[in-house]
Amino acid sequence: MRRVLALIWLLVVLAALGYVAVQSVQGLRLETDILALLPREDQDPVLQSAKDRMAQNLAGRAVILVGHPSREVARAEALNLRRNLLRSGLIKPNTDIPDQDAIRRLGAAYFPHRAGLLSEPDRQRLGAGQGEPLVTRALSQIFGFGGVADSRLLARDPFMLFPAFLGDLPVPANRLVMDGGMPSVADGPITWVLVSVMLAGEPYALDFQRRFVEAVQAPSGVALLRLGAVFFAQAGAEQATAESSRVGAISMAGTVLLVLLAFRSVGPLVLSVLAIGTGLLTALAACLWLFGSVHVAAQLFGASLIGISVDYALLYFGQVFTVRTAPSQRLKHVLPGLTLGMVTTVIGYGSLALSPFPGLKQVALLSAVGLIGSFLTVLLWFPLLDRAPGRSLNSKAAAMAAALWRFWSEARFQVARKAVLALLALLTVWGMTRIEPDDDVRRQQGLSPVLVAEQSAIQRLTGLGQNTRFFLVQGESEQQVLEREEALGDRLSGLTGWQSAARFVPSFRRQADNARLVQTALIDPHLAAYRARLGMAEIEAVAVSDTPLDLAMIRSVGALPILDSLILDDAMHAVILDGGADTDALRMAAQGLEGVRLIDPVGDISRLLEAYRHRALMLLAVSTVLMVPVLVWRYGRSGAVRVLAPALAAIIATPPLLALAGLGFSFFGAMALVLVLSIGTDYGVFCAEDKVHDPVTLVSVWLAMITTLLSFGLLALSDVAAVKAFGATMLVGVLTAFLLAPSAGRRP
Amino acid sequence: MRAVLALLLLLISGPVLADPAVLKDGDILRGRFVQERHMQGFANPIRSEGDFVVAPGRGLIWRAQTPFAVTTVVTNAGLVQSVNGTETTRLAASRLPFLSRLYDMMAGALAGDWHALDGVFVVGRAGNTVTLTPKGDDDRTGAQIAGITATLGRFVDGVEIRKPNGDFDRLRFSDQLLNTRPLDAAEAGLLK
Repeated sequence: MRRVLALIWLLVVLAALGYVAVQSVQGLRLETDILALLPREDQDPVLQSAKDRMAQNLAGRAVILVGHPSREVARAEALNLRRNLLRSGLIKPNTDIPDQDAIRRLGAAYFPHRAGLLSEPDRQRLGAGQGEPLVTRALSQIFGFGGVADSRLLARDPFMLFPAFLGDLPVPANRLVMDGGMPSVADGPITWVLVSVMLAGEPYALDFQRRFVEAVQAPSGVALLRLGAVFFAQAGAEQATAESSRVGAISMAGTVLLVLLAFRSVGPLVLSVLAIGTGLLTALAACLWLFGSVHVAAQLFGASLIGISVDYALLYFGQVFTVRTAPSQRLKHVLPGLTLGMVTTVIGYGSLALSPFPGLKQVALLSAVGLIGSFLTVLLWFPLLDRAPGRSLNSKAAAMAAALWRFWSEARFQVARKAVLALLALLTVWGMTRIEPDDDVRRQQGLSPVLVAEQSAIQRLTGLGQNTRFFLVQGESEQQVLEREEALGDRLSGLTGWQSAARFVPSFRRQADNARLVQTALIDPHLAAYRARLGMAEIEAVAVSDTPLDLAMIRSVGALPILDSLILDDAMHAVILDGGADTDALRMAAQGLEGVRLIDPVGDISRLLEAYRHRALMLLAVSTVLMVPVLVWRYGRSGAVRVLAPALAAIIATPPLLALAGLGFSFFGAMALVLVLSIGTDYGVFCAEDKVHDPVTLVSVWLAMITTLLSFGLLALSDVAAVKAFGATMLVGVLTAFLLAPSAGRRP
Repeated sequence: MRAVLALLLLLISGPVLADPAVLKDGDILRGRFVQERHMQGFANPIRSEGDFVVAPGRGLIWRAQTPFAVTTVVTNAGLVQSVNGTETTRLAASRLPFLSRLYDMMAGALAGDWHALDGVFVVGRAGNTVTLTPKGDDDRTGAQIAGITATLGRFVDGVEIRKPNGDFDRLRFSDQLLNTRPLDAAEAGLLK
């Protein structure tokens, strides 16, 4: 019977192998989009689609500044870069920075409607009845050195309000000037030339990222500054892949070394690798079969599976240090502990599937299937394949294990036990006063510091940023939306820079208001004296359009691609913000304005992380409750409490202990606690199953703990804060659980 | 804008054109100007008078005194205009790469090297007249300036800047002094 089952398991493993092989030949689908890990809000489809469009707009663009002390070199390299990217089909031919010709066409489209157009500062002055400073400005431009004074302009726009309006338009990168047709900015000795591109591919697709980022380069001596989601995504994917293969490799190497040293023979090593391998293989096959792809995060956490699945092999091979030499005897002795351990761990991992994060569902599946796979290999194959001879336990290890058993069971250590527990309790209470929730998603992502620095340099030089916050303005008609944007603009000025359709084309009502202000505050009181002073002829009747300017007129010029990202549809616009302003202040600004709301995708995700941190703690409680019936069935009520106590103490103490080390408590730490619970319970179970306090049991658990720390402990070194939190929690939690585990052993 | 920067360049390089050995370190050029803006639709040219200071490496102060007092200061940080101490216009150099290039040009011109100007203008010289014509490939300069003519004596005596629409500015310079007398406190403050 046993042989039949082993054969069936072999067929399953071979089928999994075949399936993964076929998938690999076709190209394994690895998903790297961090957003795929996060839950989607499904509450408001309009809001979600607006968010998606804004996010796509943002992600589909990239900005590169090419800098060199020589203006000519900077220009040539910028041209080169754009040409190369275009030639490789990586970018679209259009750009969002208007060129010289487009600006001229734009000026021509605006000019007939100038009567209703005012720059924001001019409008404020005239609104306050201060026409005088505008007269002085016009005179200083006429009499001073330089200036835009020109007879044709003066005849039509005597106070030169139109150039002020054009200069105040919030075109992207408005700190740049067109220098010989190329947007440039001088910063000290360096001339920076802007290359603004629209990606021709999917910024989150691994292959496109890699080709694009590789293509963005310049010869040495030429400086490049990069801004765009594609750069961050590529750096993130590269880091995650490198980290997961590093964690996997070191974890594997460490485990191999440990097994060789502990058992001093190759057999246990080969079988351990077999247990891990079949676990990973079946897990991967199940994941690909069910999801069609594997997310890199699942891959990263999946690598840690090695550390747990090897526990089963280690517990089994711990038996070589006993008098039991027949494989079936060895298995029989560890089977209850193994089974209970597997069941509780799968319950722990399985509860991850209850989390709303699609990526974590993958982790749950990958882990649960992998653990069951490894368990089945130990259960069905080990008795048939095990040829390991009996060995004597290293005397030092045995003595240490025996000491730990005694510490938790003998009466003479009672005071010391209480002291240790009191110290742990004290540190926990102290740490609890220091626990700081950490839900800010920006800190969890581990953004490349180089790119962050380049981003802020670009922001400083050009005013271009990647601010994800925006206002969504809705109304019943285009005019109503524009008026609402203007009401919002009145509150935003002084708070932050912003781009809205209404700043390019004011509402009809605002245009009429502007014309009235110019007439009453400037022309009526000042024009006659001004003209007399300059000896200017009577203004000839120059055609001023009597129809107000509308958005369609300016959009049809095609010079302001930014309008396409600001206008989501006739009744819904976005107002894009410059960086800097405080979110609460922005939210306050929108308060009481109908149809206006602040959208803060990053903040929303942070708030979600906070909500899910609470949910993860609930999950922990659910997970514990699910384990209780199994444990009560086996150990009785008080026994179940003793078995659970080490794990529970570990999950309660770990966040405060980490807080003492300065680590915040995040959703990812909370998720790790779910695993600490199941692994800690495993240790409790293994110890509880040992009625004679055999040092062999504790050495096996010790080996299991070391391998777990080898995989999870390494995650604590990750640069990605989320992964680091996960790793550090595992490190402290599992270690604490191990040290307390012998207390679960029944007293003789 | 480019026209006035070219003018500034001419002013400083006037002495060099006349006698390349004349300019020494720390030299400062001071003088008076009369500017006439001939604009269509105006009964008379708009005339202003005042003085100027050119401190190589530091910048230019252009003070119109009559009939309207406005001070323009050009440094490598940008251009600032003020009336009675109140700023009316500010253009940062970072928005005007040409302004930064001007300093390279000035350095070149001081050394008698006119190639820097070659990038933007075709430079012609006949007797004591220098003509600058914008090159066709820089449409922006072309849209603003049709041509510049300067007459040289020991210094630049006069400049005429012609605009494409027929307007032109005519400047005459007088009382020019080139010496090492340091900037006074007010001047130094403006060029800070």
